Amino acid sequence: MHEELAREALGHVDALYKLARYLTGRESDAEDLVQETYARAVAGAAGFTAGTNLKAWLFRILRNTFISMYRHRRASPEVSGVDITDAAATEEWLRDDMELDRLRKLVAEEIEAALMSLSEDARTVVLLDLEDLSEVEMAAVLECPVGTVKSRLARARAALRRRLRDYAK
Amino acid sequence: MSEPHDERAIDVALTEALHRLPHRPAPARVVRRVERVLAPAPPGPSPGWRWHWARVLVPTLAAAAAVALATPVVVYQYNAATRAAGATMITEAIGDHLRIVQAQRPLEIESGDGHRVRPWFEGRLEFSPVLPFAGDNDVPLRGGALAWFLDRKAAAFVYGLRLHTVTLFVFRPEGLPWPTAGWQRAGASEVYRAGERGYTVILWRAHGLGYALVSDADPREVVQLASRFGGA
Repeated sequence: MHEELAREALGHVDALYKLARYLTGRESDAEDLVQETYARAVAGAAGFTAGTNLKAWLFRILRNTFISMYRHRRASPEVSGVDITDAAATEEWLRDDMELDRLRKLVAEEIEAALMSLSEDARTVVLLDLEDLSEVEMAAVLECPVGTVKSRLARARAALRRRLRDYAK
Repeated sequence: MSEPHDERAIDVALTEALHRLPHRPAPARVVRRVERVLAPAPPGPSPGWRWHWARVLVPTLAAAAAVALATPVVVYQYNAATRAAGATMITEAIGDHLRIVQAQRPLEIESGDGHRVRPWFEGRLEFSPVLPFAGDNDVPLRGGALAWFLDRKAAAFVYGLRLHTVTLFVFRPEGLPWPTAGWQRAGASEVYRAGERGYTVILWRAHGLGYALVSDADPREVVQLASRFGGA
Protein backbone atom coordinates (compact mmCIF):
# COMPACT_ATOMS: atom_id res chain seq x y z
CA MET A 1 0.00 0.00 0.00
CA HIS A 2 1.60 3.26 -1.07
CA GLU A 3 2.08 6.08 1.38
CA GLU A 4 -0.76 8.34 0.26
CA LEU A 5 -3.32 5.54 0.32
CA ALA A 6 -2.05 4.40 3.72
CA ARG A 7 -2.43 7.92 5.09
CA GLU A 8 -5.98 8.15 3.75
CA ALA A 9 -6.79 4.71 5.14
CA LEU A 10 -5.54 5.70 8.57
CA GLY A 11 -7.97 8.63 8.47
CA HIS A 12 -10.86 6.15 8.59
CA VAL A 13 -9.68 4.37 11.72
CA ASP A 14 -12.33 5.98 13.95
CA ALA A 15 -15.17 4.96 11.65
CA LEU A 16 -13.83 1.42 11.39
CA TYR A 17 -13.36 1.18 15.12
CA LYS A 18 -16.92 2.36 15.68
CA LEU A 19 -18.37 -0.32 13.40
CA ALA A 20 -16.03 -2.93 14.88
CA ARG A 21 -17.09 -2.03 18.37
CA TYR A 22 -20.78 -2.28 17.59
CA LEU A 23 -20.26 -5.55 15.75
CA THR A 24 -18.15 -7.28 18.38
CA GLY A 25 -19.55 -5.58 21.45
CA ARG A 26 -16.12 -5.66 23.09
CA GLU A 27 -13.31 -3.15 22.95
CA SER A 28 -10.51 -5.70 22.84
CA ASP A 29 -12.16 -7.62 20.02
CA ALA A 30 -12.86 -4.39 18.16
CA GLU A 31 -9.19 -3.44 18.40
CA ASP A 32 -8.12 -6.81 17.02
CA LEU A 33 -10.72 -6.60 14.27
CA VAL A 34 -9.56 -3.16 13.19
CA GLN A 35 -5.92 -4.21 13.11
CA GLU A 36 -6.74 -7.34 11.12
CA THR A 37 -8.82 -5.24 8.72
CA TYR A 38 -5.86 -2.99 7.99
CA ALA A 39 -3.51 -5.96 7.65
CA ARG A 40 -5.81 -7.46 5.05
CA ALA A 41 -6.16 -4.11 3.32
CA VAL A 42 -2.39 -3.80 3.05
CA ALA A 43 -2.10 -7.34 1.71
CA GLY A 44 -4.91 -6.76 -0.78
CA ALA A 45 -4.17 -3.15 -1.69
CA ALA A 46 -3.85 -4.11 -5.34
CA GLY A 47 -7.56 -4.91 -5.27
CA PHE A 48 -8.56 -1.36 -4.45
CA THR A 49 -9.71 0.68 -7.43
CA ALA A 50 -8.35 4.20 -7.36
CA GLY A 51 -11.10 6.81 -7.38
CA THR A 52 -13.62 4.63 -5.57
CA ASN A 53 -14.64 5.05 -1.95
CA LEU A 54 -11.75 3.86 0.22
CA LYS A 55 -13.86 3.91 3.38
CA ALA A 56 -16.46 1.65 1.80
CA TRP A 57 -13.69 -0.70 0.68
CA LEU A 58 -12.29 -0.84 4.21
CA PHE A 59 -15.78 -1.39 5.67
CA ARG A 60 -16.20 -4.31 3.31
CA ILE A 61 -12.93 -5.87 4.46
CA LEU A 62 -13.87 -5.31 8.09
CA ARG A 63 -17.26 -6.93 7.66
CA ASN A 64 -15.82 -9.93 5.83
CA THR A 65 -13.10 -10.26 8.44
CA PHE A 66 -15.70 -10.17 11.18
CA ILE A 67 -17.79 -12.82 9.45
CA SER A 68 -14.90 -15.15 8.68
CA MET A 69 -13.05 -14.87 11.95
CA TYR A 70 -15.44 -13.90 14.62
CA ARG A 71 -19.15 -14.03 14.00
CA HIS A 72 -19.53 -17.77 14.40
CA ARG A 73 -18.04 -17.62 17.87
CA ARG A 74 -20.52 -15.16 19.29
CA ALA A 75 -24.18 -15.44 19.97
CA SER A 76 -26.01 -12.56 18.39
CA PRO A 77 -28.83 -10.96 20.41
CA GLU A 78 -31.13 -12.15 17.71
CA VAL A 79 -30.79 -13.53 14.26
CA SER A 80 -31.61 -11.31 11.32
CA GLY A 81 -34.84 -13.18 10.69
CA VAL A 82 -36.31 -11.84 13.92
CA ASP A 83 -35.73 -8.31 12.75
CA ILE A 84 -37.59 -9.12 9.58
CA THR A 85 -40.67 -10.28 11.45
CA ASP A 86 -40.55 -7.07 13.43
CA ALA A 87 -41.75 -5.15 10.38
CA ALA A 88 -45.30 -6.40 10.66
CA ALA A 89 -45.46 -5.92 14.39
CA THR A 90 -44.26 -2.38 13.95
CA GLU A 91 -47.39 -1.26 12.13
CA GLU A 92 -49.53 -1.09 15.21
CA TRP A 93 -47.24 0.90 17.44
CA LEU A 94 -46.28 3.25 14.62
CA ARG A 95 -49.70 4.78 15.03
CA ASP A 96 -48.59 6.02 18.39
CA ASP A 97 -48.45 9.80 18.08
CA MET A 98 -46.11 10.03 21.05
CA GLU A 99 -43.24 8.42 19.16
CA LEU A 100 -41.76 11.63 17.85
CA ASP A 101 -41.51 13.11 21.32
CA ARG A 102 -39.99 9.96 22.67
CA LEU A 103 -37.36 9.79 19.96
CA ARG A 104 -36.30 13.34 20.66
CA LYS A 105 -35.89 12.69 24.36
CA LEU A 106 -33.77 9.57 24.05
CA VAL A 107 -30.28 9.72 25.52
CA ALA A 108 -27.21 8.22 23.91
CA GLU A 109 -27.06 5.18 26.18
CA GLU A 110 -30.64 4.22 25.36
CA ILE A 111 -30.00 4.50 21.66
CA GLU A 112 -26.85 2.43 22.00
CA ALA A 113 -28.63 -0.27 23.97
CA ALA A 114 -31.41 -0.46 21.41
CA LEU A 115 -28.91 -0.67 18.59
CA MET A 116 -27.02 -3.47 20.29
CA SER A 117 -30.25 -5.43 20.70
CA LEU A 118 -30.59 -5.68 16.92
CA SER A 119 -29.07 -8.44 14.87
CA GLU A 120 -25.56 -7.94 13.51
CA ASP A 121 -26.91 -7.52 9.98
CA ALA A 122 -29.39 -4.89 11.09
CA ARG A 123 -26.79 -3.07 13.18
CA THR A 124 -24.38 -3.06 10.28
CA VAL A 125 -26.76 -1.57 7.77
CA VAL A 126 -27.97 1.09 10.22
CA LEU A 127 -24.40 2.13 11.04
CA LEU A 128 -23.28 2.14 7.41
CA ASP A 129 -26.23 4.40 6.63
CA LEU A 130 -24.88 6.89 9.17
CA GLU A 131 -21.52 6.94 7.40
CA ASP A 132 -22.94 8.74 4.39
CA LEU A 133 -22.32 5.85 2.05
CA SER A 134 -24.50 5.72 -1.03
CA GLU A 135 -26.81 2.76 -1.44
CA VAL A 136 -24.54 1.48 -4.18
CA GLU A 137 -21.55 1.69 -1.86
CA MET A 138 -23.48 0.02 0.94
CA ALA A 139 -24.44 -2.74 -1.46
CA ALA A 140 -20.74 -3.22 -2.25
CA VAL A 141 -19.90 -3.41 1.44
CA LEU A 142 -22.68 -5.87 2.16
CA GLU A 143 -22.15 -7.72 -1.12
CA CYS A 144 -25.82 -7.72 -2.00
CA PRO A 145 -28.08 -5.97 -4.54
CA VAL A 146 -29.06 -2.34 -3.95
CA GLY A 147 -32.69 -3.36 -3.56
CA THR A 148 -31.72 -5.68 -0.73
CA VAL A 149 -29.90 -2.82 0.99
CA LYS A 150 -33.03 -0.68 0.83
CA SER A 151 -35.32 -3.33 2.23
CA ARG A 152 -32.77 -4.42 4.84
CA LEU A 153 -32.29 -0.83 5.98
CA ALA A 154 -36.03 -0.20 6.18
CA ARG A 155 -36.56 -3.31 8.27
CA ALA A 156 -33.61 -2.53 10.50
CA ARG A 157 -34.79 1.01 11.18
CA ALA A 158 -38.32 -0.21 11.88
CA ALA A 159 -36.93 -2.75 14.33
CA LEU A 160 -34.85 -0.05 15.94
CA ARG A 161 -37.86 2.21 16.35
CA ARG A 162 -39.66 -0.60 18.09
CA ARG A 163 -36.76 -1.12 20.48
CA LEU A 164 -36.49 2.59 21.12
CA ARG A 165 -40.12 2.78 22.02
CA ASP A 166 -39.45 0.34 24.82
CA TYR A 167 -36.49 2.34 26.08
CA ALA A 168 -38.39 5.61 25.93
CA LYS A 169 -41.28 4.47 28.10
CA MET B 1 -49.77 16.33 23.10
CA SER B 2 -47.12 15.89 20.43
CA GLU B 3 -47.57 16.85 16.81
CA PRO B 4 -49.47 14.44 14.60
CA HIS B 5 -47.89 11.25 13.44
CA ASP B 6 -45.53 12.06 10.57
CA GLU B 7 -43.42 9.32 9.05
CA ARG B 8 -40.86 11.68 7.61
CA ALA B 9 -40.45 13.60 10.86
CA ILE B 10 -40.05 10.37 12.75
CA ASP B 11 -37.48 9.16 10.26
CA VAL B 12 -35.51 12.36 10.72
CA ALA B 13 -35.82 12.10 14.50
CA LEU B 14 -34.53 8.54 14.35
CA THR B 15 -31.49 9.60 12.34
CA GLU B 16 -30.87 12.45 14.77
CA ALA B 17 -31.12 10.02 17.65
CA LEU B 18 -28.55 7.75 15.99
CA HIS B 19 -26.20 10.68 15.59
CA ARG B 20 -26.38 11.08 19.36
CA LEU B 21 -24.68 7.71 19.79
CA PRO B 22 -21.66 8.05 22.08
CA HIS B 23 -18.63 9.20 20.14
CA ARG B 24 -15.75 6.89 20.92
CA PRO B 25 -12.74 7.48 18.69
CA ALA B 26 -10.25 4.68 18.24
CA PRO B 27 -7.96 4.62 21.29
CA ALA B 28 -4.38 5.77 20.74
CA ARG B 29 -3.12 2.20 21.14
CA VAL B 30 -5.33 1.11 18.22
CA VAL B 31 -3.99 3.93 16.08
CA ARG B 32 -0.44 2.87 16.93
CA ARG B 33 -1.21 -0.73 16.03
CA VAL B 34 -2.70 0.35 12.71
CA GLU B 35 0.24 2.64 12.02
CA ARG B 36 2.58 -0.31 12.49
CA VAL B 37 0.56 -2.33 10.00
CA LEU B 38 0.55 0.52 7.48
CA ALA B 39 4.24 1.34 7.87
CA PRO B 40 6.14 0.54 4.69
CA ALA B 41 8.73 -2.20 4.90
CA PRO B 42 12.24 -0.79 5.23
CA PRO B 43 13.99 -0.92 1.87
CA GLY B 44 16.94 -3.24 1.57
CA PRO B 45 20.32 -2.00 0.44
CA SER B 46 20.31 -1.47 -3.30
CA PRO B 47 23.29 -1.97 -5.59
CA GLY B 48 23.43 1.80 -5.98
CA TRP B 49 23.61 2.19 -2.23
CA ARG B 50 26.46 -0.26 -2.04
CA TRP B 51 28.28 1.42 -4.91
CA HIS B 52 27.88 4.77 -3.19
CA TRP B 53 29.50 3.49 -0.03
CA ALA B 54 32.18 1.67 -1.96
CA ARG B 55 33.09 4.92 -3.68
CA VAL B 56 33.22 6.73 -0.37
CA LEU B 57 34.84 4.16 1.82
CA VAL B 58 37.38 2.47 -0.40
CA PRO B 59 39.58 5.50 -1.07
CA THR B 60 39.34 6.49 2.55
CA LEU B 61 40.36 3.08 3.74
CA ALA B 62 43.14 2.85 1.20
CA ALA B 63 44.49 6.17 2.34
CA ALA B 64 44.27 5.24 5.96
CA ALA B 65 45.68 1.76 5.43
CA ALA B 66 45.12 1.00 9.03
CA VAL B 67 43.87 -2.24 10.47
CA ALA B 68 42.18 -0.28 13.21
CA LEU B 69 39.89 1.28 10.63
CA ALA B 70 39.44 -1.83 8.53
CA THR B 71 38.15 -3.93 11.39
CA PRO B 72 34.92 -2.00 12.05
CA VAL B 73 34.15 -2.04 8.34
CA VAL B 74 34.47 -5.79 8.24
CA VAL B 75 32.13 -6.01 11.22
CA TYR B 76 29.70 -3.62 9.57
CA GLN B 77 29.62 -5.63 6.35
CA TYR B 78 29.19 -8.81 8.33
CA ASN B 79 26.22 -7.36 10.20
CA ALA B 80 24.66 -6.05 7.01
CA ALA B 81 24.94 -9.49 5.44
CA THR B 82 23.47 -11.02 8.57
CA ARG B 83 20.52 -8.64 8.51
CA ALA B 84 19.97 -9.30 4.83
CA ALA B 85 19.95 -13.06 5.40
CA GLY B 86 17.56 -12.76 8.32
CA ALA B 87 15.37 -10.34 6.39
CA THR B 88 14.91 -12.89 3.59
CA MET B 89 13.43 -15.45 5.93
CA ILE B 90 11.40 -12.87 7.86
CA THR B 91 9.87 -11.47 4.68
CA GLU B 92 9.16 -14.96 3.38
CA ALA B 93 7.48 -15.98 6.64
CA ILE B 94 5.22 -12.91 6.61
CA GLY B 95 4.39 -13.39 2.93
CA ASP B 96 3.50 -17.04 3.48
CA HIS B 97 1.42 -16.13 6.52
CA LEU B 98 -0.52 -13.53 4.51
CA ARG B 99 -1.16 -16.00 1.72
CA ILE B 100 -2.82 -18.29 4.25
CA VAL B 101 -4.80 -15.48 5.86
CA GLN B 102 -5.92 -14.14 2.49
CA ALA B 103 -6.75 -17.50 0.95
CA GLN B 104 -10.36 -17.65 -0.21
CA ARG B 105 -10.47 -21.42 0.11
CA PRO B 106 -10.56 -23.19 3.46
CA LEU B 107 -7.50 -24.81 4.97
CA GLU B 108 -6.61 -28.13 3.39
CA ILE B 109 -7.15 -29.91 6.68
CA GLU B 110 -9.51 -28.19 9.07
CA SER B 111 -9.43 -29.63 12.54
CA GLY B 112 -8.61 -28.62 16.07
CA ASP B 113 -7.17 -32.05 16.73
CA GLY B 114 -3.41 -32.19 16.32
CA HIS B 115 -3.64 -35.96 16.01
CA ARG B 116 -5.65 -35.47 12.84
CA VAL B 117 -3.78 -32.50 11.41
CA ARG B 118 -0.23 -33.78 11.72
CA PRO B 119 -0.84 -37.18 10.05
CA TRP B 120 -2.49 -35.38 7.15
CA PHE B 121 0.96 -34.25 6.02
CA GLU B 122 2.24 -37.80 5.74
CA GLY B 123 3.20 -38.47 2.15
CA ARG B 124 2.78 -34.82 1.26
CA LEU B 125 6.17 -33.73 2.60
CA GLU B 126 9.61 -35.26 2.45
CA PHE B 127 9.87 -34.98 6.21
CA SER B 128 7.60 -35.59 9.18
CA PRO B 129 6.69 -32.28 10.80
CA VAL B 130 6.92 -32.22 14.57
CA LEU B 131 3.98 -30.32 16.02
CA PRO B 132 5.22 -28.83 19.27
CA PHE B 133 1.88 -27.39 20.40
CA ALA B 134 -1.51 -28.89 19.62
CA GLY B 135 -3.49 -25.81 20.68
CA ASP B 136 -5.77 -25.16 23.62
CA ASN B 137 -8.84 -23.05 24.43
CA ASP B 138 -6.93 -19.77 24.20
CA VAL B 139 -5.01 -20.63 21.08
CA PRO B 140 -7.07 -23.24 19.25
CA LEU B 141 -5.58 -25.15 16.36
CA ARG B 142 -7.65 -24.46 13.25
CA GLY B 143 -5.94 -26.80 10.86
CA GLY B 144 -3.08 -27.06 8.47
CA ALA B 145 -2.03 -26.62 4.89
CA LEU B 146 0.88 -27.25 2.61
CA ALA B 147 3.02 -24.19 1.99
CA TRP B 148 6.22 -23.22 0.30
CA PHE B 149 8.96 -21.65 2.36
CA LEU B 150 11.44 -20.14 -0.06
CA ASP B 151 12.59 -23.10 -2.17
CA ARG B 152 11.01 -25.94 -0.24
CA LYS B 153 7.72 -27.40 0.88
CA ALA B 154 6.62 -26.64 4.41
CA ALA B 155 3.87 -27.62 6.79
CA ALA B 156 1.73 -24.72 7.94
CA PHE B 157 -0.16 -25.17 11.19
CA VAL B 158 -2.75 -22.47 11.70
CA TYR B 159 -4.03 -21.32 15.08
CA GLY B 160 -6.39 -18.65 16.32
CA LEU B 161 -5.55 -16.09 18.95
CA ARG B 162 -8.79 -14.17 19.47
CA LEU B 163 -9.22 -12.45 16.11
CA HIS B 164 -5.61 -13.00 15.07
CA THR B 165 -4.25 -15.79 13.00
CA VAL B 166 -1.04 -17.43 14.13
CA THR B 167 0.85 -19.54 11.64
CA LEU B 168 3.63 -21.97 12.45
CA PHE B 169 5.70 -23.03 9.47
CA VAL B 170 7.78 -26.18 9.79
CA PHE B 171 10.41 -26.92 7.14
CA ARG B 172 13.76 -28.52 6.49
CA PRO B 173 16.40 -26.16 7.87
CA GLU B 174 19.38 -26.96 5.67
CA GLY B 175 20.65 -24.45 3.17
CA LEU B 176 18.39 -21.58 4.21
CA PRO B 177 19.71 -18.04 4.75
CA TRP B 178 19.31 -18.17 8.52
CA PRO B 179 20.42 -15.05 10.39
CA THR B 180 23.99 -15.55 11.54
CA ALA B 181 23.75 -13.17 14.49
CA GLY B 182 21.15 -11.70 16.76
CA TRP B 183 20.02 -15.01 18.23
CA GLN B 184 18.95 -15.06 21.83
CA ARG B 185 19.10 -17.93 24.25
CA ALA B 186 15.59 -18.66 25.55
CA GLY B 187 15.28 -21.78 27.63
CA ALA B 188 16.66 -24.74 25.76
CA SER B 189 16.40 -23.01 22.39
CA GLU B 190 18.02 -20.15 20.58
CA VAL B 191 15.53 -17.90 18.85
CA TYR B 192 15.69 -15.05 16.41
CA ARG B 193 12.95 -12.44 16.77
CA ALA B 194 12.03 -9.75 14.29
CA GLY B 195 9.15 -7.37 13.65
CA GLU B 196 8.12 -6.02 10.29
CA ARG B 197 4.96 -4.27 9.07
CA GLY B 198 3.16 -5.01 12.31
CA TYR B 199 3.98 -8.70 12.23
CA THR B 200 6.17 -10.55 14.66
CA VAL B 201 8.25 -13.46 13.41
CA ILE B 202 10.16 -15.88 15.59
CA LEU B 203 12.58 -18.36 14.06
CA TRP B 204 14.16 -21.33 15.75
CA ARG B 205 15.50 -24.80 15.06
CA ALA B 206 14.54 -27.94 16.92
CA HIS B 207 14.06 -31.64 16.25
CA GLY B 208 16.24 -31.26 13.16
CA LEU B 209 13.64 -28.94 11.64
CA GLY B 210 13.22 -25.22 11.13
CA TYR B 211 10.31 -23.28 12.62
CA ALA B 212 8.85 -19.86 11.87
CA LEU B 213 6.03 -18.52 14.01
CA VAL B 214 4.17 -15.51 12.55
CA SER B 215 1.33 -13.34 13.78
CA ASP B 216 0.16 -9.75 13.87
CA ALA B 217 -0.94 -10.09 17.49
CA ASP B 218 0.77 -8.02 20.15
CA PRO B 219 4.51 -8.82 19.95
CA ARG B 220 4.59 -9.66 23.65
CA GLU B 221 1.81 -12.18 23.16
CA VAL B 222 3.62 -13.75 20.23
CA VAL B 223 6.79 -14.10 22.28
CA GLN B 224 4.82 -15.68 25.13
CA LEU B 225 3.11 -17.93 22.64
CA ALA B 226 6.44 -19.01 21.17
CA SER B 227 7.45 -20.40 24.54
CA ARG B 228 4.50 -22.77 24.36
CA PHE B 229 5.70 -23.91 20.96
CA GLY B 230 9.15 -24.53 22.36
CA GLY B 231 10.56 -21.55 20.52
CA ALA B 232 11.40 -19.30 23.45
